[in-house]
Amino acid sequence: MSNTGFDTDVLMVLIPAFPLAAALIIGIFGRYVLGERSHWPCVLAIAASFVCSCLLLNEVVSLAHESHEGHGVGLEITNTLWTWADVVDAYRPAAPAAGSPAIAPAEANFNIDITLRADPLTCIMLCMVTFIATLVAIYASGYMHGDPGYWRFFAYVSLFVFSMTSLVSVSNFALLYVFWEAVGVCSYLLIGFWYEKPEAAAAGKKAFLVNRVGDFGFALGVFLIWTTYGTLNFHDTTAPDGSIVMGVLGQARLSNPALFVGGATATLIALGLMTGAAGKSAQFPLHVWLPDAMEGPTPVSALIHAATMVTAGVYLVTRCTPLFYMSPDAQMVVAVIGGFTALLAGLIALTQNDLKRVLAYSTVSQLGYMFLSLGTGTLIGIVGGMFHLFTHAFFKALLFLGAGSVMHAMHHIIDMRRFSGLRHIMPWTFRTFWFGSLALAGVVPFAGFWSKDVILAAVHERGHDSGVFEVLYFGALFTAFLTAFYTFRALFMTFYGPTKVPHEAHHAHESPPAMTVPLIILAVCSLVVGAWFEYTHGFAAFLVQTPSLAYAPVYGEHGVHQDVFHWDIAITSTIVALAGVGLAAFLYLGPRTEVTRLGEFLQSPVGFRVYQLSYGKFFIDQIYAVTIVWPLRLLALLSYWFDRWVIDGLVNSVGRIPAAIGSAIFRPLQTGMVQFYGLAMMMGLLFLLLSMLIWQPLG
Amino acid sequence: MAEIQLVYDYLVVGALLFGIGLVGFLARRNMIVMFLAAEMMLQGVSVSLVAWGRLHNHWGGQMLVLFILTVAACEAGIALALVLSLYHRSGRLDIAFWQTLREANQPAFVDQELPDEAHPKPTWPELPPSGIEPRVDDEILVEREHRIHV
Amino acid sequence: MIDDPVVASDLGAQWPYALATLLFAAGMWLLLPRGRRGGRRLGAGLAAAGLALLVLLVHFGLTIHDRPPRSVEFTVPFPALGSWAHDGVFLILAVLTVGSAICSVTFRSPVYCAIWFAMTLLGTAGLFFYQGSQFLGVATIVVYAGAILVTFLFVLMLAQPEGHAFYDRVSWEGPLAACAGAVMVGLLTMTFAAAFAPNTEQQGSPPRYGWLEPAIAAEAPAARNENILATEHVASLGRTLFSTHLIAVEVAGTLLLVALVGAIAIIAHSQKTDASSITNEPAALRPRSTGGAHG
Repeated sequence: MSNTGFDTDVLMVLIPAFPLAAALIIGIFGRYVLGERSHWPCVLAIAASFVCSCLLLNEVVSLAHESHEGHGVGLEITNTLWTWADVVDAYRPAAPAAGSPAIAPAEANFNIDITLRADPLTCIMLCMVTFIATLVAIYASGYMHGDPGYWRFFAYVSLFVFSMTSLVSVSNFALLYVFWEAVGVCSYLLIGFWYEKPEAAAAGKKAFLVNRVGDFGFALGVFLIWTTYGTLNFHDTTAPDGSIVMGVLGQARLSNPALFVGGATATLIALGLMTGAAGKSAQFPLHVWLPDAMEGPTPVSALIHAATMVTAGVYLVTRCTPLFYMSPDAQMVVAVIGGFTALLAGLIALTQNDLKRVLAYSTVSQLGYMFLSLGTGTLIGIVGGMFHLFTHAFFKALLFLGAGSVMHAMHHIIDMRRFSGLRHIMPWTFRTFWFGSLALAGVVPFAGFWSKDVILAAVHERGHDSGVFEVLYFGALFTAFLTAFYTFRALFMTFYGPTKVPHEAHHAHESPPAMTVPLIILAVCSLVVGAWFEYTHGFAAFLVQTPSLAYAPVYGEHGVHQDVFHWDIAITSTIVALAGVGLAAFLYLGPRTEVTRLGEFLQSPVGFRVYQLSYGKFFIDQIYAVTIVWPLRLLALLSYWFDRWVIDGLVNSVGRIPAAIGSAIFRPLQTGMVQFYGLAMMMGLLFLLLSMLIWQPLG
Repeated sequence: MAEIQLVYDYLVVGALLFGIGLVGFLARRNMIVMFLAAEMMLQGVSVSLVAWGRLHNHWGGQMLVLFILTVAACEAGIALALVLSLYHRSGRLDIAFWQTLREANQPAFVDQELPDEAHPKPTWPELPPSGIEPRVDDEILVEREHRIHV
Repeated sequence: MIDDPVVASDLGAQWPYALATLLFAAGMWLLLPRGRRGGRRLGAGLAAAGLALLVLLVHFGLTIHDRPPRSVEFTVPFPALGSWAHDGVFLILAVLTVGSAICSVTFRSPVYCAIWFAMTLLGTAGLFFYQGSQFLGVATIVVYAGAILVTFLFVLMLAQPEGHAFYDRVSWEGPLAACAGAVMVGLLTMTFAAAFAPNTEQQGSPPRYGWLEPAIAAEAPAARNENILATEHVASLGRTLFSTHLIAVEVAGTLLLVALVGAIAIIAHSQKTDASSITNEPAALRPRSTGGAHG
């Protein structure tokens, strides 16, 4: 199977194993032995993981070239390590439907194989995650320098990389759920990294609780998959008798679309999975946790809350494309939620004064873009969503790390109103931030332009036959305008204008090389990845070899070789982006008199107070507080009182009975007289003897 | 004489020793007498064991009695040490003095007052003095105060 | 409660034992120190009556059951004496032992108690001799009467006030204690009686009666007396002790050592404190006038 000498089975294991080992080493030795050297195991392990991912990618690419494209079943390699759970005869379908092909076995064992898989989707995710993580770890060694929890930070990051690589590698819904939760835990730990700060602790708790809502839906989806398909494996397995047991997304099932359940069941499954994806990827209405998650250290924001973990939802939906394909309604829901989230977050980002918060809402917005693209249900749309995920990881990580660099220099002050004109102080951060902003705004030829163009094209294409997508297309265009505007607003507010630094940061200076070098690497990537992949068509051609995407109804007759580059859309989006940049330059470069007037207008009743609406994040947190949090707290209070006074009262009353008996009867028996105890003992013995004599035969 | 009858007799004697020892242990308040009673219970068991060994023609019974002797010796040493220690603390051999194990709200056990024991007063014949009157040591007078009828 | 008619009638037939127990209990109660004089002669009479009834029941087989002859015969250790003399020797020893035991627990003066206990020990030693356990008899006299008891007397001399201390003149719950002891004796005797009852019916009788005699008869009668009553009694005993029970002997030796160390430790510790350290006891518990002792 290998033609370059590397065993894919070993590589698949090594990729998560390196970060896990690093996490254990740092966790055990970090505090007392490694100390300020704690980043070394983390960086080295993740870099090794990245090398392994590249080797694995190379293997899979060469395999993909060998196999005939458009085979209809795609390419996957699985490696079963061991069986975690094995329950015999666990699956009994309620009543097999007559006439239709059996989509599930008549009876099945419940087994969770620890199986790692390698296919184009997984390989792309692995390379992206480990690459970004390597750079972020290097960056963090400078950023976190001197923090008392230095070793803890790198232990968590290693653990996160382990969880994330496992999440994209596993080939089973149950394991996917496990690592889904594992990345959630790492996210919680890292958001609340400075747990002594009340806001950080609260933000971690909020992220965790909001994710619970999404995970609940995800769990329901997984349960429904189990009851419907009788298996949780993605891939096909071979039964002991040699027959093939179809996995949910296995090649055997993918070869015959009739083997997928349709109708309401498919919709419920898809919506369950979508709920989980929306929770993890911060889509409306579960988006509220991500902006608060910016309380964590900035490298964490870059790695987890911009580039990798929050894209897990996108990964999940992509992975389950055939399941979503069975329910056009669910796909529509995905698209609408995505488009709405993109617009909503873009509107909120316009007025935020916190640099990291602007970027956080930008992340939510871009994730919405990806979901919008996935929701089109076309191959070009799905590939576009994944492509945007890929490019977005680079430039959003770049922007966050740039923001972190600013924060580092400004002594942890991130309010854009308190500093300006930093381009002279931090030249490298300034230049790389330009690259990131251009990529995010979608300006030719930066990465964001190409991926956003694919998405707009896919949505526009669906708009021909669906009014909803027509609306979504214009919404997406408007979002692109907003994106360009708020990105450059942040850029201009931070780096232009008169040089001003907050008084806390009187020694403002450029960040150390450990932080600027990753910035430069990411800036170069932001410039080239989009154009290069667009030019070679390599990304799309490779990605569609994933079994889920090679699925015939999705793949269609032409694959992705149809000409997807529409000049009209490209020109439109470029104009829109430049308009946004121009408006931002007009308002924020120079004396800013217009922006003040505009702001006053929008705050007034004449302007419908839309400024407050945006600045207050559409008051979604407050609405949740009133409709969900307070009723729950009231219920909890009621339960507390019920438990405290009714249940405890009952228990205490029952407890008082033996106490009363004890003080009435047994307490007076404790006379302290030695002979009394002897007598009592003897009486007991006599009673025993007597009862033996009367009731018990002696023989 | 029937062998079984002898064993029966011995067992009853053992039971009697045990029972009497029990009565003594429970009723007497002098720690040393209590201890004697406990030893008596051991004797009762020893008698039974010897009888059983005799019946079954087995050395086990006598062996056990030998070890009972050993244990009794140890017990005697320890117990007498404890009794002496308690006597040092309380100034008497009364076991009822030690009742601090009782519950906190229980009244202490207090003896009823006993009438003084009537001692027969010694009377000596009063003889007319003859010869030299013996010199009486003061210390002896003090010590024998209650014996000397003035 | 009792469904089995045989058992029921048999329990009904236990009344002589119950009577003996009752007499013995009453006698013991009257004999125990009660803080006043009188009633002790009556107590002695009652206890003696109870014991006599017990002797009649147990030894002479005075029972409402029929008593068929015993099947297993016994080799006497004193061949020179006739059967009647055997009975006499045993009865004298038994009465001596039990009588001095009663005296030992009822006398007011602890010194008398100790002396009567020595008498009990001598009687027990005699009983051991009568069973052929010569070594045990000697050991009892030497170790118990010679060593332990003398230590008791030493302690008494150290600790005993002159005359009768008030706590020697009263009993703690005398009736209850006497009843407990007597009921113990009665129950044990009834159990023995049931176990040793002649097995009148080989098949039909319930298993709780007369189970012992057939069990003994099943053992090889020929080898019955070779072991315990061997000519080289002490040598055999020693062989058994230091072969079969060697580990137990070692353990017992260790126990003696530990007890020695423990006794020394306790005494050494208690020398540091004295009566004055007990101050938290209520006044009622303080040593007080013991009547004639200081009067």
